Amino acid sequence: MFTTPRLIIIGLGAALNVSIGTIVYLIKLPVYLDSIGTILVALLLAPDRTAAFLCAWAAGWIGLVVSGLINPFLPWFAITDVAIALVTALLTVGAAATFRARPLRPIWFTAQVLLCGAVTGIVSGVVSAPVVAYLFGGVTGSGSALVVAVFLKAGENLMSAAMLSGLAADPPDKILQVLFAALLYRATPGELIAMLRPPTQVRLIR
Amino acid sequence: MTPNGALAVAFVLIALSMSGPGPRGTALLLMLTLAFALIELRGATLIALRRAAVVVLPLGVFMGLVWIGIVGRAPAEIAADATGSRAAALVYVAGICGRLFFIVAVIQLVFLRFAQLTPLQFVGALALPVGVKRMLVVTLSLIATLRHAIDRAHTALIAAGTLTRSPSWRNLFHAWRLIQAVWLSAVTIVLGRMRDKWPVENTLALLDRTLAGGNPKWLLGDDRIWLPIALGAAVVILLADRIAGAS
Repeated sequence: MFTTPRLIIIGLGAALNVSIGTIVYLIKLPVYLDSIGTILVALLLAPDRTAAFLCAWAAGWIGLVVSGLINPFLPWFAITDVAIALVTALLTVGAAATFRARPLRPIWFTAQVLLCGAVTGIVSGVVSAPVVAYLFGGVTGSGSALVVAVFLKAGENLMSAAMLSGLAADPPDKILQVLFAALLYRATPGELIAMLRPPTQVRLIR
Repeated sequence: MTPNGALAVAFVLIALSMSGPGPRGTALLLMLTLAFALIELRGATLIALRRAAVVVLPLGVFMGLVWIGIVGRAPAEIAADATGSRAAALVYVAGICGRLFFIVAVIQLVFLRFAQLTPLQFVGALALPVGVKRMLVVTLSLIATLRHAIDRAHTALIAAGTLTRSPSWRNLFHAWRLIQAVWLSAVTIVLGRMRDKWPVENTLALLDRTLAGGNPKWLLGDDRIWLPIALGAAVVILLADRIAGAS
């Protein structure tokens, strides 16, 4: 399961989560972009959904451990990362062939990105809402806290404000993340993807 | 003290801070942490506090802007549907930021306690499976690789006229090219390492040997003092306000 190339790609995915997520966190954009590496790791391991889930989960959690040194909110969202890894393995991995198709089929590509991103966003928004509401009273350090504040100002209670904020901010964020991951997956050399496959599948993806 | 003992003490301290102790419990927790910092780190305690302030201060400003500036009420007041006040929001923000400051400071204390160790030595000394330790070392190495890749890709894209050195709309528009260039650069480096460099230098076998030979130890030296103290203090901290409240 965890061959050397897969371990390396988990590390690379975690490093990508940390690098992009930290930049976005520090400049307080109303998105997160801290799971691109997680989604990308799962895509690179398509069509093996079990490996995709386990490796994406590992990349997500290692990224959380390292990011936690800069963003003390992040480690509390560990369960959200598991949910993202699970949805990606079950849904987004199924779109891997479309994401890598040459020539690009723009309508299919766009539809798959929108569908996978929206579903991932809804799931992560629902899973994150109790953590945001009960652990941090609705406001974390990311830019999406502004969205929670707007809902609270509009008279929503804490849990529903956190939930509505998650449902408003997460799907666009995850659509963006799936898009970035899909484009990076598309640009990744076949040689690297071949190294991640069991030897019997290598010829199929070249 | 061993890294494992220090991390275990840090875990107990952070868990206690998250359990929401009352005023007496909080005072005891702070005293315990201060004692740990002063005895184990002495002057380096100030560095840990400064680093924690650097992390939490911008966060505090942002949360103050959101809670005090925009919302103007504390969560408890929102839950109770009360009118609320900015003063209560300020108290709430101060509480959250204080807790986060504490968590970051404790983590920094642990890392500064072992500042003389290289990251490889620190990870090697942890009581974790070799696979997990290898994963951590590889991730830290790849973060450095990614930073180099960012520098190189950024310079190349500036040279090509795609990006500019100062902030500009062009940078925003072409940021995606930077991400793609960084990824391809990192992948190329990793492929080169896996295919050529590591097999020739036998890097992974040497890394595994180093990590397996780290001989992680538990309950040595000061661990035998700090762990029982932390666990004993945990019971006192958790009960301090209940007993005081009951009496």
